[in-house]
Amino acid sequence: MSRRTPRIDRNSPLYLAWRRFLKNKPGVISAGVLAILYLIALFAGFLAPYNPTTQHPDAVYQPPQRVHIFREGRLVRPFVYQLVKKRDPVTFIASYQEDTTRPTPIRFFIRQGDPYSFFGIKTNLHLFGVSEGYFFPLGTDQFGRDLLSRMLVGSQVSLTVGVIGVAISFAIGILLGGISGYFGGWIDTVIQRTTEVLLSIPRLPILMALSTVIPASWPSTYVYLGIIAVLSFIGWAGLARVVRGQVLAAREIDYVTAARAIGAPNLWIILRHITPNLTSYLIVTATLALPGYIIGESALSFLGLGIKEPMASWGLLLKDAQNFQALSLYPWLLAPGVLIFVSVLAYNFFGDALRDAADVRSID
Amino acid sequence: MWSFVFRRFLVAIPTLLLISVLIFGVIQLQPGGFLENMLDDPRVSRETVETIRKQYGLDQPVWVQYLNWLKRFAQGDFGYSFLNNRPVAGLIWERLGWTVFLAVLTILTTWVVAIPLGIYTALRRHGLGATVVNLIGYFGLATPDFLVALLLIFAVLSSGGTNVGGLFSPQYIDAPWSWEKFKDMLAHLWIPLIVIGLDGTASIMRQMRANMLDVLTQDYIRTARSKGLAERVVLWKHAVRNAINPLISIAGLSLPNLISSTIIASIVLNLPTIGPFLYQSLLDKDQYVVMALLMLSAILLMIGNLLADLALAWADPRIRYE
Amino acid sequence: MTIRKALWLLGFMAMGLASAQPKVVSGYENGKPGGTLTMALSSAPQTMFYYGAIDSAIQTLANQMFDGLIEYNYKTYQIEPALAASWTITGESKVYTFKLRKGVKWSDGRDLTADDVVFTYTQIVANPEAKGGDAGNFAGVKIEKVDAGTVRFTLPKPAPAFIHYMRLPIMPKHKLLPFSQEGGKKPGDINNAWPTNVDPNEVVGTGPFKLQSYTPGQKVTLVKNPNYWKRDANGTPLPYLDRLEFLIIPDSQAQVAQFLAGNLGQLNITGTDFPTLKQREVQGAPIKVVQFRALFGSPPHLAFNYDAKNPELAALFRKTEFRRAIQSAVNRKRIIDDVYNGLAELPGNGVAPVSEWYYDTTKLLGTYDLAAANAALDKLGLKKGADGIRLLPSGKPLEFTLTYGSNSSTFTAIATIIQNDLKAIGVKANLQGVLAANLLSTGRGKDWDAIILGFGDQPDPELRTPIWKPGGDLYYWHQSTQPTTPGGQPQFSNFLPWEKEIYDLWEKAASTTNFTQRKALYDRWQAIFAREAMVIMIAKPNAVGAVSTKYGNYIYSLGVIPGYNPVPIMYQK
Repeated sequence: MSRRTPRIDRNSPLYLAWRRFLKNKPGVISAGVLAILYLIALFAGFLAPYNPTTQHPDAVYQPPQRVHIFREGRLVRPFVYQLVKKRDPVTFIASYQEDTTRPTPIRFFIRQGDPYSFFGIKTNLHLFGVSEGYFFPLGTDQFGRDLLSRMLVGSQVSLTVGVIGVAISFAIGILLGGISGYFGGWIDTVIQRTTEVLLSIPRLPILMALSTVIPASWPSTYVYLGIIAVLSFIGWAGLARVVRGQVLAAREIDYVTAARAIGAPNLWIILRHITPNLTSYLIVTATLALPGYIIGESALSFLGLGIKEPMASWGLLLKDAQNFQALSLYPWLLAPGVLIFVSVLAYNFFGDALRDAADVRSID
Repeated sequence: MWSFVFRRFLVAIPTLLLISVLIFGVIQLQPGGFLENMLDDPRVSRETVETIRKQYGLDQPVWVQYLNWLKRFAQGDFGYSFLNNRPVAGLIWERLGWTVFLAVLTILTTWVVAIPLGIYTALRRHGLGATVVNLIGYFGLATPDFLVALLLIFAVLSSGGTNVGGLFSPQYIDAPWSWEKFKDMLAHLWIPLIVIGLDGTASIMRQMRANMLDVLTQDYIRTARSKGLAERVVLWKHAVRNAINPLISIAGLSLPNLISSTIIASIVLNLPTIGPFLYQSLLDKDQYVVMALLMLSAILLMIGNLLADLALAWADPRIRYE
Repeated sequence: MTIRKALWLLGFMAMGLASAQPKVVSGYENGKPGGTLTMALSSAPQTMFYYGAIDSAIQTLANQMFDGLIEYNYKTYQIEPALAASWTITGESKVYTFKLRKGVKWSDGRDLTADDVVFTYTQIVANPEAKGGDAGNFAGVKIEKVDAGTVRFTLPKPAPAFIHYMRLPIMPKHKLLPFSQEGGKKPGDINNAWPTNVDPNEVVGTGPFKLQSYTPGQKVTLVKNPNYWKRDANGTPLPYLDRLEFLIIPDSQAQVAQFLAGNLGQLNITGTDFPTLKQREVQGAPIKVVQFRALFGSPPHLAFNYDAKNPELAALFRKTEFRRAIQSAVNRKRIIDDVYNGLAELPGNGVAPVSEWYYDTTKLLGTYDLAAANAALDKLGLKKGADGIRLLPSGKPLEFTLTYGSNSSTFTAIATIIQNDLKAIGVKANLQGVLAANLLSTGRGKDWDAIILGFGDQPDPELRTPIWKPGGDLYYWHQSTQPTTPGGQPQFSNFLPWEKEIYDLWEKAASTTNFTQRKALYDRWQAIFAREAMVIMIAKPNAVGAVSTKYGNYIYSLGVIPGYNPVPIMYQK
């Protein structure tokens, strides 16, 4: 510890909070998991072996291919067997058998398929793949599209829906709450009424009604943003209330009055003095509100009101698994559900850890 | 206290008005609706549709329709369901019983599960046990409820069971009440309770934990301990009692939310509640049904809030409303 | 009572019994009475009055509780006597005289008379304000009672398919008079008859079952009508079953679950559910999964908007060569295999392949050939741009929206496959999902370029006139041919030459009564339809049903088609 640089004040609240956070093992692990998930989303195009929309009609509903590293008892570079399709004449169920005569080695940093765009750079470089035949690590869907690729690209939608949605609802909430608390009077009353109205409306019906209002003629990116707007429509009300409370309290503190007396601008005062208290609350609330967007988006997809083809999201992918045929015959389609589960859990543990860390009165 | 209630009541009215305007507006914005869909059947001519439109007053400007609705609603007339050719009130009443029953049962179950879990995770904050318990609690939060419903049904089917949805086996649906019917209902209830209840478990657990932590740092707890009271007594008689208080206000909020949040689960599990009815009416633009149901929810919410605040005041002598 | 009087009485009774004309249904196993069958409804009934709403739930229920004057043979779909024991068509096919079956009683014991028939048609069916009525097809038709057992319809002009309309259910005058105009009410008040909370004893019908109870949102119970007028070959009164129960289950997977759990005795399924259910049957579950080539049911098609907002696209969509080129990119075999699990066949053009009106257009349907499609589009002068997407003459990319039903897995799958293949020939289709219930209203509006939609097939093409006859109300892909005023003439000036041909064929067929001549006319129509790819028909799904093995004499039925109800011959083993 003596090597620590003297610049860090060991008694600053931030440092103490950081130490408390580190003690919370689930929280730390979750933070790691989330970081990995977002990194994966960032590099989704590269990590995925195929483009999410490429169809392979001859490999419909193919189960995940096993990666082998032993062949005839010897250790070789990883490879997969190609699968041969047979359709049962009575039940029409397609079954796949490994063709052990055709091992296909897995290549890394392979260029194949249509180019995808990575921050403006067009490339078709993929982390891994096979140069002949197919390699579907998590199997395929009804159109022969690689499930892993679709999940990876879908993570971009599912993980950002929450971030953007929370950002929007927080921006609106903080702004309106702050204005309401600081200026008071009729502005306050109007904004207060509005928040009460929004808090009193049952959530799902309004979500559904608003989703049907999004014109079908909009391109899918607009629809995506529209869905986020719908989901965040109700979110800001609760936050506005809290901010307003904080602002009201801060308004009365002497030094704020003094600052106003010497003519400092209103906004600056509010920000300067509210922020420390508010920030921890905001961070925790944001972290705990985010998973709601992920689940909300999947609920909308279930009802047919959310993200639509050809965009992929975990909710939309999960819809494919929402029938007995999938559960009995194609259980690999449930994989997106696992990702939803993991990410929501991670957010919750992480948020709990943050809140414990920020809580000054914690008893240890 | 009565002046407090009266003031809340006064404040509620403009809020309800605003809510009704908002909901009415959103409904109007929706495309399609039952009138348009009627045209899809070749039997129906445009004249029939226009006549029906006039009959229901749907050809008038939106604000006129709204004012008409408002006038009738204030007098207790919930309007007419176009699709069902019946007044809305009767339709809601038929389904209300089961909705409330399920909602109350779910709240009770959630509490029974979540509060002990919340206490445990407050007392043992950093153990593996806490993580496991948190996992259980968050499970409902982390899985979409339609998926859980389907998985449970699949599990039941795979093990040869027959309780795969609905509140009763078909033969008991219209049978008179009996011990058999009651047992049948219990056998069906566990799936909806898990699916709907798990969601709320996490937030109540969390809230309970936070409250416990809050309470345990209070001075009076230290005093109680220093008085020599057994830890168990300190815990239950003082800490838990005080920690539960804020939860009462959450209870007030859960009831109306249960009407709307159970829609998806009710569809998959085939429960005879208001949820699927609301969903279908929304899609078909049966506007008076939607207005009646959503306004009902909003009113319930406000009453729930009011009752919760009153209960809080009654339970906690520190809180007084002038 | 004197002996003479008693003898007269006996004589009259004997005559009465002898003149009762039960219909014998033969050709099926003779079952035994008793048992209950539980089926599913996908929505709660909006009313208990068939004509009070457009609602598939009440249509299914009414099919069990009421009958029409005619019905369809279970196997051949030929028209057979039902409530009408016989009929004659005279006066240049404009006069239909029906003799009612003797001895038919309503479920409350009263006799069926011509008054009921006249009441049903004049006060309900021909009532323009009845939501489920059919006033358009009865405009100008005179309906009169000839005597207590005879009804006559006099048409303004010959309509060869008129006999099919006689399948509509006959309603009891003695119960519905208070709601009708004849009973002193406004025409629209008929819709208030028999709401869902009506006393079940009020819902009186001639059908095999009658309403016993309705538990809102959960279950409808029907019980055997002891007065039903059908018998089996042994003389046992039909229906065999004592009770019919309908569980209200909106979610299709929930329906499958209930069937697998044994709570439903019969279920209509789609190709998607076939493999899992068939697998269970093969593994020994007490169920039978059957599939038939279907008559009814809706084959999906891909339509282009001849009046698309973008004039370049509209001009292109009107070209037959363009549509046929696109047709070469529609992989029907893949759709049949992957979307319907093989349970579909190549479609007809407006007529189901299993129908007697079918004209074999399979050779005119084109084949899946991307090279040919590319060549055809090249020939149209649509050069490929730098990114592989073809360019319109103005230089803009050949791009349009493809609308489909987002909550239908079948339509979503078809749209995804077609979009993928279109990309391979340089055509960019942007998928646009709407709720399936709003599909047709979207198509009837102006805001679409290409759409995937399905219309049901019927036993007689004439019944689908508003859809396939150019200028019809549901001829939605070329709205500029539709009349400018309701009931007016189509805008002939906007007809394409082959549309004029089709229109003339339909006009002629509407007044031709000779079957061979009509068939020739409709054959030519189907040929032109296929040749011009008016809309691109995709596939005709099979009828797939699952039934528990404890029932005999199961015949698949869609449930909602009036006049087609094979449930009375089902029996519990």
